[in-house]
Order: sequence, then structure tokens, then C-alpha cells
Amino acid sequence: MLWYWKHVGPRRIVEFILLTIFAIFFAGPLVNLLVLAFSEKWNYPNVLPQIWGFKWWEFVLAKDDIVSSISLSFLIATLVTLLSIVVCIPAAYAFARLQFPLKRMFLFSFLLTHAFPKMGLYVSIAVLFYQIGLMNTLLGVVLIHMINVLMFMTWIPTAAFRNVHRAQEESARDVGASPFKVFRSITLPMAMPGIVVASIFTFLNSLDEAQGTFLVGIPDFKTMPIVMYSIISDFPSSAGAVFSIILTLPTIILLVAAQRLVSADVLASGFQMK
Amino acid sequence: MSSKSVIQAGRATAKKTISPETKQSILGLAMVLPSFAILLIVVIIPIVQSFILSLSNDAGGYDLSRYAYLFTDKGMRGNIVFTLRITAITCAAVLLVSYSLAIYMRFNQGPIVDLIRRTYMIPLFIPGVIATYGLINLLGNHGWLSRILETVGVTLPRIIFDEKGIIIANLWFNIPFTTMLLSSALAGIPSSVIESAKDVGVGRLRLFTRFIFPLSYKTFLVALTFVFMGVIGSFTAPFLIGANSPQMLGVSMQQVFSVFQEREQAAAIAFFSFLLCSVLGAFYIRSMAEEEKGKM
Repeated sequence: MLWYWKHVGPRRIVEFILLTIFAIFFAGPLVNLLVLAFSEKWNYPNVLPQIWGFKWWEFVLAKDDIVSSISLSFLIATLVTLLSIVVCIPAAYAFARLQFPLKRMFLFSFLLTHAFPKMGLYVSIAVLFYQIGLMNTLLGVVLIHMINVLMFMTWIPTAAFRNVHRAQEESARDVGASPFKVFRSITLPMAMPGIVVASIFTFLNSLDEAQGTFLVGIPDFKTMPIVMYSIISDFPSSAGAVFSIILTLPTIILLVAAQRLVSADVLASGFQMK
Repeated sequence: MSSKSVIQAGRATAKKTISPETKQSILGLAMVLPSFAILLIVVIIPIVQSFILSLSNDAGGYDLSRYAYLFTDKGMRGNIVFTLRITAITCAAVLLVSYSLAIYMRFNQGPIVDLIRRTYMIPLFIPGVIATYGLINLLGNHGWLSRILETVGVTLPRIIFDEKGIIIANLWFNIPFTTMLLSSALAGIPSSVIESAKDVGVGRLRLFTRFIFPLSYKTFLVALTFVFMGVIGSFTAPFLIGANSPQMLGVSMQQVFSVFQEREQAAAIAFFSFLLCSVLGAFYIRSMAEEEKGKM
């Protein structure tokens, strides 16, 4: 072992140590939850659980309010995703292809969603919702979830539509395709990866949103992250770990499925012009 | 029909109906307006309204008393100073680590780099509550790390329910996102520029200060904006990890709104947090607008 380190040189060793610290820093909390979720008895100061098992899974899945929070979260995330597709994709197409007055103003207005600190914005919204009676309503919760997704749901598809070559659309028009047909069979399929990525982020973002829901959805709209807040204080840590895994599962499944489409470049185009 | 009459008929309809340009304008506006309406409801109106509300005083008139309270109340002043300190430390640490990592990934090859490239974005998709909970269990009193360190006789200092915990959680949340923004900017620097600079014998430090930083400083500032606002507007991590006092502004305004039910005061704290971020926010919008100019 020692000769190996001597062989690779000090630079590699420093590199290796730094990356190990990095990996532990980011993976540590998650691995810890994974171990906790399958431990039945884990007393201090044991480094690993004394008894492994599924006891806490049965405990968590038997709680009605926890199970209902899962379906509520999925319902809200689906609504938010559908609404943002219906509202944002046409806007993205208009930004990419049409000329209309105040176009720049409209495009940049979406930056406003990211130009204010989140909790300040949520409190301002809650103040408004309180006056117009949207506190503790489904519409109120869906609207507050829309804030985080409006911008990338518009910008990522805008970038995707722009990347479709006009020449291809024009040649389809030349052979007699109607504008709608061109959109259906050329523009939309080519922009689809961007739209899919944006939709997946929207869904995940809504599934994970906690702060805004905590402010305007209490007491009736207890989504998974909100239930998590109370689990942390009320239940043993193994129960919390089990629920954490349930809450993270959809994220992992969707990301693995969309792995090919997700890249730093696509993601970054949702937050800045390049 | 002769070709002449077709042209005439075409002219006649053109006079009656609207021109293609106007049609496109109307279509474009119709497609954009629904999303703008949502923006109006969830961002613009709330901000204007909270500003007006924050100016109202107990007597029913309008003055700056709600803002004066932020600086005269000792607890509140402590919260503001605390928030700014945490934000400054986080920004410096995040940008340092993320820049190094992004540069490392850009200019190195090999299996380790590939592995990092494929995994560093994962924390972006982990729900904030979950990551915070994981950190509490890992770093807390009698947590996993303290158990592991105990075997070699090291006692872990208090991290959770302390500012150290908030900073660590902020690093966990912000490093992946910042690294993502910065590596996408560094990917835009042509390798030929770097290679030719190396060929004429430019050192590493000069390479960074003369080429890499100037070519990516705009994204650097955008990243700074996101981290700064992310920390000032954060709630989950400081709510679950932070001590009771001093509090981060996000937690403090939630308490004032939900627990004390003082909406006017909450609005004032919210608007104050906007003011803290206004310079960076304005910069962000302006630089994006400039970037876009050439494309319309």
C-alpha cells in the first residue's frame, strides 16, 4: 500500500484526501438516513445498529396521516406540473418564435421570481392571500408552488425552441405542411428533451417545496415535507429516516429515468441567459 | 380566374382583415399573458402590497415605525447581524469551494473526474428537509459522526443548534448549484485559449486571473447572487437546525407572521430582506438583459 502512495506522488494524495472529504460531506447525511431506516435498535455509543429490521417501515406505513400526505403531495405536484405546462410552454414558444410588443419586458419579468429572497416573498404572498382568502386552500398552495418553477419552466423550453433550426421548419412548410403540422411533427419533438427536463424539475420542485406550503397551507394541506417537520420533533429518528427515504424515492426514480437528458448546461439555461 | 383577379382579391381581403404582423403580435401576447398573470399574482402584487402594508403604523397612519422597530428592538437587531454574518461566511466558502471544483472538473480528466461530474448534482434534487434531517442525525449530539470519532477518542464540538450547523447545511445546499452554474460557464471557455496561453508559458495563477476569471466573472456574480439570496431567504435549515436566538431572518419573519400574527411587522421584515438583496437582484436582472440583447 505504502509503495503505491509513494508512486502516485503527493499531488494525487492531496487530491484523493480532498475528494474523500467531499464525498463524505455530501453522502454522509444520506447514508446515515439509509442505515437509520433499517435499524431497530441502535444505542449510543454503538457505531452500527445492534438489531437491523423493518419495524419502523411498518410503523410509518400504518400511520394514516403520513400515507394521506403522500397522495396529497403527488396530487399537488401533478396539478402544478400540468398548470405550468399549459401556461408556460405556449409562452416559451412565443418568446422563441414570435415577434410581439414588450417581448423583452415579459421575458425578463420572470427573473423577478428569483430576484427576491424566498422567505420574504412567501411572507408577502401570505399577507396577500390572507386578505383575498387564499390561505389554507388548494389554489393558494398550487400558486405558491408555481413561483419556483415559472422561470425555468419558461426559460428551458424557450432555449429548446430556439435551438430548433428554422431551416427545418421552413423546408417542411415548403413541401406543404400546415403551421400546426410543422409544430406537431418538427418543432415540438425537437424541443421535447428540454420540455421534459423542465417538467421533471417542476414536479420534483413541487414535491419538495416546504417553506411556502408551511406558511399558506397550514393546517389542512400537510404535504410530505410538512409532515416531515413534525416527524422530526415528534417521532424517533428511525421513523423520520424511513419517511425520508419514501420522500426521496420519486426523485431518484425520475432522475434515473431522465439521466440522459439532465446536464449542467440544460439546467443552467433555466437560471441564466447564455 | 385570371392571375390578375387573384391578386386583386388578395388585396381586398388584406384590407379587410388584420396584417400578419398584428396577428402575430396578438397571438404572441395571448400566449404570454397567462403566465404573466400568475407572475402578477404571486410576485408583483404581493411585493407592492407588502411594501404599502409595512408602512402602516398602529395608529392607522403611515410612517416608518415598523422599520424603526427592526433596529431598535435588540432581538431583531441581533437577528439581522446574525443573518448577515452567516450569509457572508457562506458566500465566501461556497464560492471558493465551487470555483475550485468547477475548475478541477474542467481541466482534469480521468475516472475520478467522471465520477464527480456524474454525481455532484445529486444534492440539488434531494429535498431540503431530508438533507437537513440527515445532517442533524449525522452531526448531532450522539450522532453517527460523534459515535465514529468516539472510537478514536475525539469529541465532536456542538454543531447542531448552533451557527456551525446552519453554515454546514448552507454549504450542502449551495455548493452543487453554484458548481453547476460555474462549470457551465467554464465549459464555454474554448480549450484553445487555455492551451495557447499555456504554450507561451503563462503560470497557473496568471492563467486564472487573466483568462479564466475574466471569462467567467459574470456567472461568478450570478452565482454569488443566488447564494446570497438563497441564504438570506432560507427557512428549512435554520428552522430545524438553528438555536432559538439569534434567528435567521427567514425564521424570524415566519414566527412574526404565523405565531405572533403581526402581518404588518412581517411585511416590514420581508421588505427589509428585499432591500438587503436589492443591489444583487438588480445586477442579476440587468446582466441577464444585456446577455439577451443580441438574440432578439
